Order: sequence, then structure tokens, then C-alpha cells
Amino acid sequence: MNFGQEKIADQFLLVAVVDDDESVRESLPDLLKELGFAAIAFSSAEEFLCSACLCQTRCLILDIAMPGMNGLELQQELKVRGNRIPIIFISALKEEDVRELALEEGAAEFLLKPFSDTALLQALNTALQVT
Amino acid sequence: MKVQLEHPADEIKRLQRCINDVVSILALPAMWGDNKPRDIVHTLLDSLLRMLNLDFVYVSLTNLVEATPSETVKVAPSQEQIFRPQELCMSLNRWLGDDPQKLYLQERSHIGDQDVSLMSWPLGVQREIGVIVAGSRRADFPQDTEALLLRIAANQALIGLQQARLFSEQKRIAYELDQRVAQRTAELAAANEILRKEIVERTRAEEALKRSETFLAEGQRLSRIGSFSWRVETGEITWSEELYRIFGFEQDVVMTLDLIATRVHPEDIPLMNDMVEKALDSVRDFEYKHRLLMPDDSVKYLHLIAHGIRDNDGRLEYIGAVQDVTQRQISEEALAKARFELADVARVTSLAMLTASIAHEVNQPLSGIVTNASTCLRMLTLDPPNVEGARETARRTIRDGNRASDVIMRLRALFSKKASITEQVDINEATREVVALTLSELQRNQVVLRCELAADLPLVTGDRVQLQQVILNLLQNASDAMCGIDDRPRQLFVSSKLEEGDRVRLSVQDRGVGFDPQAMDRLFEAFYTTKNDGMGMGLSVSRSIIEKHRGRLWATLNDGPGATFSFTIPYTTNT
Repeated sequence: MNFGQEKIADQFLLVAVVDDDESVRESLPDLLKELGFAAIAFSSAEEFLCSACLCQTRCLILDIAMPGMNGLELQQELKVRGNRIPIIFISALKEEDVRELALEEGAAEFLLKPFSDTALLQALNTALQVT
Repeated sequence: MKVQLEHPADEIKRLQRCINDVVSILALPAMWGDNKPRDIVHTLLDSLLRMLNLDFVYVSLTNLVEATPSETVKVAPSQEQIFRPQELCMSLNRWLGDDPQKLYLQERSHIGDQDVSLMSWPLGVQREIGVIVAGSRRADFPQDTEALLLRIAANQALIGLQQARLFSEQKRIAYELDQRVAQRTAELAAANEILRKEIVERTRAEEALKRSETFLAEGQRLSRIGSFSWRVETGEITWSEELYRIFGFEQDVVMTLDLIATRVHPEDIPLMNDMVEKALDSVRDFEYKHRLLMPDDSVKYLHLIAHGIRDNDGRLEYIGAVQDVTQRQISEEALAKARFELADVARVTSLAMLTASIAHEVNQPLSGIVTNASTCLRMLTLDPPNVEGARETARRTIRDGNRASDVIMRLRALFSKKASITEQVDINEATREVVALTLSELQRNQVVLRCELAADLPLVTGDRVQLQQVILNLLQNASDAMCGIDDRPRQLFVSSKLEEGDRVRLSVQDRGVGFDPQAMDRLFEAFYTTKNDGMGMGLSVSRSIIEKHRGRLWATLNDGPGATFSFTIPYTTNT
């Protein structure tokens, strides 16, 4: 499944990964790169908000449960700032109410860990088509 | 006998008169019907006085009872002026004297100022009954017939008096016999009375004894305690009824150590042998518990105590009691089992509450694994393949796999239903592990955790898993207490330190809703909960775990908001 044709002018779309778990921060960017994206990882929502990449981020892969500002709160914060980056939530916990809320608030997708690369691609597809 | 042949016809008349008199005298006894000596003497004297025409007649009787003789004198009415009785007695006494030869006397003597003819005749061959003296002033007294009459009269009197004496003797003997019999009868009656009283006493005592024995037997039956005595030298063993019942033997079967051994549980036989050996050795008190294996294969638990004494002859004897504590044992075992299962329920409850953490802890590394594997495959399908990259992803996969495995092992250890294991436990390490497991959950609940675990904390002896359950319980409660708190940070402070008195202390402090100080004791009660979906098991089980470790679990309210739950456990000092 090659996404290549529908890429926009930028060589690589920047996908930001925000997760407090180290394994995720290690593995996900590599997979994204293999999938043809540029990727950068942050260990907290606060870190992401402060980063320079904020404006360049074309898609956000966001963990729900994090110390400090959690995923849903970041979603709200971005809304408040008028930032409409498509968000793909990833979570280790299967909680229906959280999923519903996230989607209601405009999330593009909500994936449960562990997720396959296929599922990730589909989600990216969905997310990036929104723009 | 001098015969005077003056006139034969007169003589014949005189002799006829004599014979008549003899017949009269022979008839005298008929008048002595009631055998009174006094009467005999009087009728005799009267008859003689009359028949012989005496002036006086005197009888002296030896008194059986007293030494002094009784004297009786009768004077013919016509002579009463001449002869005074008292003077007569004295004179006759003097005349008689004590000479035993003077038995049959006939003499002319002088009494007062009169000349009298006296005749004496003994009553009894040696005057043993008495003597009779007849007196007349006639010079020819006594004539032959008169002497004969006197002799016959004396004989009759003698017979009569002897009979009287015999009779009186008989009466006296009979009286004495009666007296003696009466006395003996009274004595016997008294003795009988004493015996009767004794019997009543004994019967009463026996009844009291029976009652007390019944009480004892009943008491033994109710309390399932039987008593025994064991004379070591002779091997004689005595059992109470209840003990027979406990062991399931027929009453009154002769008890021996061998017979007892047939009931003792095979595994406890060495214990019994050891006890017997020690007991034979010397006087000592002993106490031990052992089981019985009954014929129907049921098991009884017995608790035995015995006290050794030396009896009066210095021989060793043991007196003891045996209680059937099977019920208590069963109850205790059931209680222990219930506690165990309760702890299990508490564990399951906390398991449910940790589902979030489990999922989280395991899914994170799993996610890493899946992602890395996908990356790996993609790298390898490139042309040329990115081997370096693939290697790196493979490495990460293995690492994450191990991480997941560790978590699962720790979780499994925490939630497996195992029997208690005692080991040396580092409280700090145990705390860190629990924190690691709950961290994500705590963070999800916006709880900020701070740990200050004292360095070089001594090890405590206990069940690591159980202690971790307590720590887990405290952390969850602290987190729950801060559930709705929004006006301040949800700070959770876990600390450990060394306490005075060789104890290790762990405290979990929250800034939550606290608790009602009045309900402080209730906090640790089973089924007490302030949570909507709480079961109220956690603190109650936690406390019993800590107490099993000879420690204490308690709660205090903070100066600020929230509460602090702490426990202390004594640590081992060089065992």
C-alpha cells in the first residue's frame, strides 16, 4: 500500500508522536519513516506544545494516558488555539467512553495498542484526507 | 431319851400330844408360803412358845448381807414383866458366845435374877443359818418330848430358812441378771443408735458423693474433658467415663498404654513414645497435643496435660486431663481457610481495580513489539534491505518482549492464590514494584506520586506478596480518596523509615477527602466502605495481614487535607 501519489509538495509529511512510553517513542517513528513519513517524538503534551515543530506537524499520533496534560486535554488545547491538526489517538486501555469523547471532539481515529501497521496506515489515510 | 414310866395312860397321852405337836410343826411350812425369813421365825417362835409352854424363845439369824445377826425374841405373855427383851438378848448372846462347840446346849443358867433352863439348837450344822434358844424356869426343862419338838421345829425352820435364803438368793441373782440385761440392752440400744446415725451419715455422704460424681461426669461430658491417672510403676491406668467415650472404647475395659496406642494417629506415635519415655524418667508436668485416628477413619484432636506426683510410698503417679479440641481445631482451620479466601476476594477485587494498570503495562511493550516487527519487515523488503535497521528493531522487540514478560510475571505473582511464604523482604523494593505496577493508573487519575524510601532499611520477615497487597491497597485507597479533588494537586507521598523499637515503617499520605475521626476504628472493619462500588474488604484484610506479621496498621488525619495510612513491622535481628 503506497501512499506516495497523494503526498503534498513537502518531501515528507511530518507526523508527531506524543507518548510517555519509551517503547512507543522508539518504535513508532521508525515505522512511520518506513511508511514514507517524517516523524518526531515527544514524551509529553507540554513538550509538543512548546516545540518548534508545532506548525509543521501534519498529523498527530497521541497517547491518551499521560502524566501532566493527557491526550484529551491536548486535543482541547489545540482546539482552543485554533490548531486543526488531525489527531490519531492511541491507547493501551479499551475505554468506550473515552473513545467516543475523543471522536466527538474531532479525532480522526482511535487505535488500541498494540495495533498493526495496516491499521496505522488506514488511520493515517483517514486523518490526512480530512485536510 | 429318858422314858418316865409313872402312868402308862398318861404317858400314852403325853406321847400322843407330842406326835400331834410334831404333825403341827411339820405343817408349819405351809404357812411360810412367801418365804419371808421374818415370818418363818415369828410363826416358829409363836408355835414353840405355845407348844412347849416356854417362858421365852430366842432366834439369832446370821445375816447374809450384813455381818450383824438379826435377833428375835419372844416372851410368853405371862413372863413379860420378868424378862425384858433387850436384856434377854444380851444375856443370851453372852451365854452363847462364839464358841462353835457350844452348839447343842442344855444348861441351867442365870438370866437377870432368875434361874432358867436353857436349850440351844443350831440352825444349820455349823450355826451358819443361826441358832435357836428356848428358855424356861422349870427345872425339868427340856423334857425328852420337848427337846424332840424343838429339834424338829429347828429343822423345819432350818429348811424353811434355807429355802427362803435360796429363794432370796435366786431373786437377787434374777434381779441382778435383769439389771445386767437391762444395762446391756441399753448399751446395745445406744450402740445401735450410734450405728444408725452413722449409717444415715454414710448414706448422706454417699449420696453427696454420687451427686458430685454425676456433676463431674456431666461436666466432663459437656466440656469433652476426660481425666486419668497413671501409676507408672505398676502401669495401672484409670480413666474417667468421658475419656472412654472420647477414645471410643467400651466402659470398664482395662486400660493399657498399648491399647491407647491403637487409637493414637500413626504420625503422632513417635510423639507419644517420647512423652512416655520422658514420663518414666522422672516426675514432671507435661502437656502436648496429638491426634487420634478412629476406627471410622475420622480424626480427633486432643489436648493433654498431666501433673506428676509422688504418692505416700514415694511411687510416681501422673494425674491428668485430656480435652477433645476437634471442634475448635476444625473451627480454627475453617476460620483460617475463610480468611485465606477472604484475602483472595480482596485480591480479586484489587485485581479488578488494577485491570487498567495490567492492560497498560502489558500493552505498551506489546505495542512496541508489533510496531518494531512491522518496521523490521519493511526494512527487510527494501532493495537493498536495511539490515542495520532491521537488527535494531529486532533488538528492541526482544527487549520489549522481556519487559512484557516481567510485568506479567510480577502481576501473576501478585495475584496468584498461593499459600503464605515466609522470606526476608525488602519493604522498599516491594514498594517500588507495586508503584511500578500502579504508576500508569495513578497518573491516569492525575495523581502525583512522590517516594521517599529510607536507605539501608533492614529486611523484615514475612510474605512478600501479602505485604505488596497491603501496599497496593493503601495506594489505591489514597488515589480513590483524591478522586474528586480539583482545587489542589493530588499529591501522594509514600515514605519508609526505620522506627524505634526495631520496626520498619511505611506511610502512604494523600491529600484527599480524609475520613470522619469518629469512624476511625470502623475504617478497618470488614464490609465498611465509603466508596460507591467498594466492597469494604481492603483495609480489613490489610490489617489482618499486618497483624499476622506482628505489626500494626493505623490511620491518622493530616494537619492539612487528607489522611495518612501507616504500618510498622518488626524487623529481624540476626536470626
